[in-house]
Amino acid sequence: MKHNLLRIFKTGWTNFTRNSYMSFAVTGVMALALLLFLGLLTFQVLTGRVVSSIQEKVDISAYFKTTTSEEQIISVKADLEKLPEVAAVTYVSSEQAREDFKKRHEDDTLIQESLDQLDTNPFGATLNIRARDPENYSAVATFLENSRYRDQMSEINYNENKAVIDKINSFARSLRAWGLIVTFMLVIIATLITFNTIRLTIYNQKQEIEIMRLVGASNWHIQGPYLAEGGIYGAIAALVALFIFYPILYLASHRLLIFVPDVNLFRYFLINSWQIVLLALIVGVLLGMVSSIVAIRRHLKI
Amino acid sequence: MIEFKGVQKIYEPNDVVLDNIDLTIKKGEFVSLVGLSGAGKSTLMRILTKELKPTAGNVSVDGTDLNDIADKEVPYFRRKFGTIYQDFKLLNNKTAHENVAFAMEVSDATPEDIARDVPQILSIVGLADKAQNFPNQLSGGEQQRLAIARAMIHRPKILLADEPTGNLDLVNSYDVVKLLLKINEFGTTVVLATHDTHIVNTIGRRVVTMDKGKIVRDQLEAGRYII
Repeated sequence: MKHNLLRIFKTGWTNFTRNSYMSFAVTGVMALALLLFLGLLTFQVLTGRVVSSIQEKVDISAYFKTTTSEEQIISVKADLEKLPEVAAVTYVSSEQAREDFKKRHEDDTLIQESLDQLDTNPFGATLNIRARDPENYSAVATFLENSRYRDQMSEINYNENKAVIDKINSFARSLRAWGLIVTFMLVIIATLITFNTIRLTIYNQKQEIEIMRLVGASNWHIQGPYLAEGGIYGAIAALVALFIFYPILYLASHRLLIFVPDVNLFRYFLINSWQIVLLALIVGVLLGMVSSIVAIRRHLKI
Repeated sequence: MIEFKGVQKIYEPNDVVLDNIDLTIKKGEFVSLVGLSGAGKSTLMRILTKELKPTAGNVSVDGTDLNDIADKEVPYFRRKFGTIYQDFKLLNNKTAHENVAFAMEVSDATPEDIARDVPQILSIVGLADKAQNFPNQLSGGEQQRLAIARAMIHRPKILLADEPTGNLDLVNSYDVVKLLLKINEFGTTVVLATHDTHIVNTIGRRVVTMDKGKIVRDQLEAGRYII
């Protein structure tokens, strides 16, 4: 069994090197297919990142009246934190709000002076709430509306942000859906092209397969080396594709940083490089081997 | 050892290639199967290796009825035979050594056995110095000798030769025939299909003559090719 496996792999490798023109063509096609696959993966990561970085900026705030006591606000905060939909609640006290406002308008002497002239703090405290999922904001808003301290709140800004939040959500949803559909279609096309190329390669060897059968070779003996060859195509194609992919990504990611500063694609793919390399190799080898199996099947009928 | 009983092969709709063939070949015999092209010699051989199924009748090899052999077992069944053909049927992307080694590999021989037996048989057929050549780097005669080496490497009980000299000149043809006779001397049953009068008459063993799908003559000894 051990020397059989070794033999199968050795024969596969010999066929690969001897048939160099064909191997080059098949590997090239597969490398392109894998490059497409990696490109789509990048697209998915990119859109995911862009959407979530926009969504991270969305929150809702409850503004409290200046008369509200701190205990009341803290109890609302505690209630909110118990909700499963809520990711984080930050409390901004009225002093803090005043400081923030002052800081924001540092250069405006008129504002600075008028603030200094006031004896009381005109700013109320604020709770900023971030939901786990942007779809949850309406639930959080309803919770605030029904809160027993509702009359202490001067404003809940969900209603004015509602249109924007909804728009972002529906944009994110359709981007994900279309991205998935396009990815799926292109992966199918790439698979079909690869499959067809391998099928033609094996069709070329129809006579050889016939002869092997006449010599008394079992299906496994005939199939083994082709399987190995398909796997080799896939592995080399994956390496070629990765070799092309990373430099291109490096260049593209720098350009992209100008538009979306929050999303560093290259860093993402560098941090996850192990998984990416493994994924490309697995997809490549599987694609090659499965194509070989399917293509050779019809030549193996007795 | 080989027995045909009432074997008939009809290609649809009504092209009768073999018509009621009865033929028994004993162990260790050398049988020349002669007749014009289209007489049914090749069909008879291909039925024997289960490449074709007869329309009617029974064929048995070594006491096993061919109908009882499942498709899955056909590769193992074929290892009983060594086969050589007019067009050699060598694996073109393998060297001479690998072509012979392949026939051993399929019957699960160990690498040690392969390393020992292959050079041996290549030198028997006179190809010791061409082991690393590919078939297209060999002459026709050399290719056929390589095919014989491949057919014999797993020591089959039966050697089927279908027009092995069809593509060869006279000298190379005689080389091949000499090899076949030598193989037969070691106890292998040989069935040779040919339409080459000279060769059949030189061999002078059992000659079965076929015409239009029928056996028309069976000379058990010192047979000659007569139309």
